Amino acid sequence: MLNFNWLSGVSHETARMVFFGLFIFIGMLILLISNAYAFKGIETERRHWWNNLKLWGLVVLGMLFTVYYIF
Amino acid sequence: MLAGIDYFVVIAYFVGVLILGYYFKRFVDSSEDYFLGGRSLPFWAIGMSIVVSDIGALDFVGVSGQAYRYGISVGNFDWIGSVPAMLLAAFIFIPYFWRGGMYTIPEYLGKRFNRHVRTIASLTWIIFFAVDLGVLFWASAVLLNVLMGWPIWVSILATASIVGLYTYFGGITAVVMTDVVQLVVMFVGGFALVFLGFEAVGGWENMVDKIHNMGPEYSRHFQLVQPADAETPFPWTGILFGLTFVMANAYMIGNQTIVQRCLTAKNEWHAKASMIFASALKMLIPLLVLFPGLMAIIIHPGLEDGDKALPMMIKNILPPGLVGLMFSAFFAGMMSSVDSILNSTATLFTKDIYEPYIKKNASDKHYLQVGKITTLSILLIGVLSSPISSLYPGIYVAIQTFLSFFQGPLFAILLLGIFWKRTTGAGGLAALIIGIGSAVLMNVFKASIFTIEDPFLYISWWSFVIGFITAVVVSLFTKPVPVTEMKGLVYNAKDS
Repeated sequence: MLNFNWLSGVSHETARMVFFGLFIFIGMLILLISNAYAFKGIETERRHWWNNLKLWGLVVLGMLFTVYYIF
Repeated sequence: MLAGIDYFVVIAYFVGVLILGYYFKRFVDSSEDYFLGGRSLPFWAIGMSIVVSDIGALDFVGVSGQAYRYGISVGNFDWIGSVPAMLLAAFIFIPYFWRGGMYTIPEYLGKRFNRHVRTIASLTWIIFFAVDLGVLFWASAVLLNVLMGWPIWVSILATASIVGLYTYFGGITAVVMTDVVQLVVMFVGGFALVFLGFEAVGGWENMVDKIHNMGPEYSRHFQLVQPADAETPFPWTGILFGLTFVMANAYMIGNQTIVQRCLTAKNEWHAKASMIFASALKMLIPLLVLFPGLMAIIIHPGLEDGDKALPMMIKNILPPGLVGLMFSAFFAGMMSSVDSILNSTATLFTKDIYEPYIKKNASDKHYLQVGKITTLSILLIGVLSSPISSLYPGIYVAIQTFLSFFQGPLFAILLLGIFWKRTTGAGGLAALIIGIGSAVLMNVFKASIFTIEDPFLYISWWSFVIGFITAVVVSLFTKPVPVTEMKGLVYNAKDS
């Protein structure tokens, strides 16, 4: 059990799906964050779409997803 | 191996970093300036500093060597083994630490649990950093000696003098701002090698085809997700459970050298943005350290020691001038690791040990002075103890293993501390002690318990599980902490 032998039968494709599932789950959690929280620290009049940290997080996650999709 | 122009590049790099670092002396008037940069730094500088502090000269060679042996699966450490943890840190943990005006992670643990947890965590980090510094000095200097023929003591003394000077006077602002330059040097040197390397192997597709045609042992060299029964240290189960769920989070959320940088941010947005920006830069690191190892499979096939892959690539691919830049990149990796350790250890000692136990309620100038003296003392200990490493060849691995004992239980109590109001001080303390103890036992009996080559990922996961369960059970049997005492320390607490 300590060696995760019980998962040795899991195929390569299924294991990749587990990774993708994790990325999607994290992406959904980021989407659940309120815009007010993502902008906190910036004055209201200086808030623009490009300094919405939710967007930053999703872009990085997209890059990660792409790397694991390719390899 | 170095030409005249290479020496010029390296010396110019040394002088430039020294002048830049010393410039920031003028901004240090208080202990907050020294340890937290006056909480005034921008996200881009902090993000760059986080990334460059995380990679040293040894990583360049070690990761290239592992890529040579195992392929791109070693990239998991910078991709899935960093990015999700950095996003979690950015959106959940960092804002709490920043808003609380914390100087150290143990300080948070002390407020959330009790002073014993704070002291154990702080002392563990201080001991780790103090021993690690000497080993880091020696191992990096030996590496530079092998690569470039640079005398060992010249490397150590040059690095110690320059880093010591700007860290002593300029504090964390000097550390972060010199790290920015060091990252640029590292990226320019690294990408030059990758670009010229691709020309030498005939491009990406040609490289992949050639490696696949070299035999069945190379069939998985371009698979990030390795089977659970793979004999490499990177099966997907270890990567997911040990690395992604535990070690990465413990490192990005619980490591003082990483988190302290985010606490220097000018506001909460910059604190969060710094970690997300760092995660984007992190995505690029495998290109610098991993690709040269893969290219070396074609250019230098059959190397018995994979760690020779990168040195041979530098020697055969880079022209004069760029060799000096790559050499500077190695120094940048070494210096950025050393300056981080110096400043973070000084912060841990001053805030978690000296202030509560040795001299309470002293003036701010006094604590500033203590921080500076600690910086110098740690530097001296590092330099003087560095030759000891040569007597114990396995000490570098031993120190990294020691850190892996600590990370699982540390992450368990950080996670429960911030998300579960019912976690008590006794629960946190028991989790730390029993979790670390179980990791030590698993390491002692690893040959009979585990089947893979080096089971540090599995040990991290199981020590995390044991620490987590211990914290839950002990907390349920001990008196709850009043909600009023958890203000600003627990996620979604009504009074926070």
